[in-house]
Amino acid sequence: LKARVVNSRLRLLLLGILLTFAALGVRVAWLQTVRASSLANLAQRQTKFDLTLPASRGTIYDRLGVPLAIGEQATDVIADPMQISDPRREARVAAKALGLRVKPLYRKLSDRTVGFVYVERKASPRLAAKLSKLGLTGFTFQSDEKRVYPQDTVAAPVLGYAGLDNTGLAGLESELNKELAGRPGRETVVRDATGQAVNTVQERPARDGSSVFLTLDSHIQANAEQVLEQTVHQWHAKDATAIVLDPHTGAILGMAQEPGYNANNYPAFARTLAIDHAVNDVFEPGSVFKVVTVGGALSEHKITPQTRFTLPYSIHVADRVIHDAEIRPTERMTVAQILQRSSNVGAITIAERYLGESGLKHWMRRFGFGRLTGIDLPGESAGILPKYWSGSTIGNVPIGQGVSVTSVQLASVYAAIANGGEWIQPHLVDHVLGRTPPRPHRRRILAPAVDRELRTMLKGVVSDQGTAELAAIPGYTVAGKTGTAQKPGPSGYIPGAYVATFVGMVPASNPRLVVLVSVDEPHGQIYGGTVAAPAFEQIASFDLQYLEVPPDLRIGARG
Amino acid sequence: MTLFALLLSGVVAVNVAVLRAHVAVAKLDQQREQLQARNQALASEVSAASSAPRIERAARRLGLVQASAGNTSYLDLTSGGR
Repeated sequence: LKARVVNSRLRLLLLGILLTFAALGVRVAWLQTVRASSLANLAQRQTKFDLTLPASRGTIYDRLGVPLAIGEQATDVIADPMQISDPRREARVAAKALGLRVKPLYRKLSDRTVGFVYVERKASPRLAAKLSKLGLTGFTFQSDEKRVYPQDTVAAPVLGYAGLDNTGLAGLESELNKELAGRPGRETVVRDATGQAVNTVQERPARDGSSVFLTLDSHIQANAEQVLEQTVHQWHAKDATAIVLDPHTGAILGMAQEPGYNANNYPAFARTLAIDHAVNDVFEPGSVFKVVTVGGALSEHKITPQTRFTLPYSIHVADRVIHDAEIRPTERMTVAQILQRSSNVGAITIAERYLGESGLKHWMRRFGFGRLTGIDLPGESAGILPKYWSGSTIGNVPIGQGVSVTSVQLASVYAAIANGGEWIQPHLVDHVLGRTPPRPHRRRILAPAVDRELRTMLKGVVSDQGTAELAAIPGYTVAGKTGTAQKPGPSGYIPGAYVATFVGMVPASNPRLVVLVSVDEPHGQIYGGTVAAPAFEQIASFDLQYLEVPPDLRIGARG
Repeated sequence: MTLFALLLSGVVAVNVAVLRAHVAVAKLDQQREQLQARNQALASEVSAASSAPRIERAARRLGLVQASAGNTSYLDLTSGGR
C-alpha cells in the first residue's frame, strides 16, 4: 500500500513537471511565433537607435585661405514639457546656465500640450555641458553646427548668411548652397543596458560640404569697407558701393557696401541691408557711360582722339535742352577733351553725328549693358536699356541718362578697357575644393588700338585739367571717368538726389586694378570727382601697396 | 566535452574583444568629432584675430600709420634698379 502511494505521488509530480514544461513550451511557441515580430521591434527600440549624421557645411575662404564663413560646433538644448514637473524651477536653472531670460523659457516649459520645445538652438557647447551636468528632468542635448562669420561685417553682403537649419539664405551662402551643404548620413547605434554604444552600423556616411575659395581678399575688402564708411559719413550719403577688380582675370578682390551688417546677428538685422547693391541694384550711370559713346565712335573709325568739335554750352535735342555741368563759352574741343572735361554736349554731338539710335544700341549691347554678367551671386540684375526711343532719347543715352546699369556691369566694362579691350566675366568664386576651377567667359569688345586710345584719353580725366584730379595717386598713372547722375523717381528726376561715381584703373600704363566707387545721395557735394574720386584714391593706394605694385612714375611726377 | 568548452570560451572571448573594439571605435569617433570641432573653433578664432579692421585698430593704438603707396620703393632684382 505504501509503495502504491509513493508511485502515485511520483506520477503526480511527473505530471506536474510535464504540464509545467508543456506550459513553457506553449509560451515559448507563443513568444516565438505570434509575438515574435513585436518583441523583436521592442528589443530593437531599446537597444538600437537610428541617427542622422549631420554633414558639416563647407568653409568659405578668401583667396589667401582666411576663413570668412565657418561651421562651429553648437548644441541644441531640447526639453519635453510633459516630463517636467516643476517648470518654474527648471526654467530658472536652465536660464541661469544658458544666459537666457527666465520668463519666455518658463512659458515654453509650462506648455504641457507639447512634448518638444527648443530651450535654445545652437547654444554654446560649454554652457550646454554645464546645464547637462545639472541633470534636469526632461532635458536632452543634441549636437549641431552653427554658421559663424569670424570677421563679422567683412564681406557680409557678398557672403550672405545661412539660416538656423544651416541652409544658405542670401549671397554666396545661397548661391553655393548645393556645394556647401553636403549630404547628411545615417547610422544605427546599438547600446547596452547602461546606454554605452557597443556597435555602430553606418548605413550611409555623411558627406561634408565642399569648401569654397573666393577671389576676394579679406584685407582689400575690409579696407574698402572702411573707406566707404568714412565716405558715407563725410557726405551724409544714403549708401555707397565699391568694387575692386583684377582686369586681367576678372577676379573680384573686393566688393564692399556701406552700411553693412554682421551676419552673426542673423536674423536681427534689416533684410534691406542684405541686398547686394553692386549686383542687385541698378542706377543711371551718368558720365561714366560716355566711354560707350566715345568707344563706339572710335571703333567705327568715325572719330579719333584728336577730332575737333565746336561745342556750345547747351544743345537742343527734340524738346529738351541739355547743357554741360559748368557754364562756359562756345569752345572747340577734341574728343580727348570731351572725355577729360566730361562734356555732355560733346558726347551727344558724337552720338547724333556718328552713331545714331542703332549705333548706340549696338555698342551698349556690345559693352554688355542690358544683359547679365553671370557673376556668381544670386539676383543679378541685367540693367535697363530704353525700349522706346523718342526724339530726345539720343540726348539722354550718350551721357548715361535713361539707361540703368549695375555697378558690376560698369566695373567689368572698365576692366575690359584696362585689359586691352577684352571683357572677362567678373567672378567671386575661385574654385570649389576638389573641382576644376570654372573658366570665366571672355569676349572682345574693343580692338587693342582703340582701347589704347580710349585708355590714354581716360588718363587725361585724372589731371588738373580733368574732372577727377582727386583720384590721382602719387607715383602712379591713373585713368578713369567720373559720373554725376540724377536719380530718377516715379515722376521725373528727384530734385537734389544724385549718384556720384568714379571708375578708374591703376597703374594706367599696365593696369593691375580697376576700382569703382559709387556714392548714393551725397549731401554738400554731388560730383563724382569730389565725392567718389577721393574714395577711389584711398582704396587704390592701399591696394597698390598691399599687392606690392611698383609705381610707374617718378615720385613727385603726376599721373 | 573539454574541446567544446574550449571552443565556446574562444567564441565568447572573440565576441568580448569585438565589443571592446566597438566601444573603442565609438570613443575614438567621439574624440575625432571633438577635435574637429576644436579645430574649427580655433580656425574661426584665428580668422577673427587676424581680421584687417582689428589689426588696423591695434596698429593705430600703437601710433602706426598707413604708408603711402607712392613712397614705397621696390627693388628690381633683375636690373638692380629701383
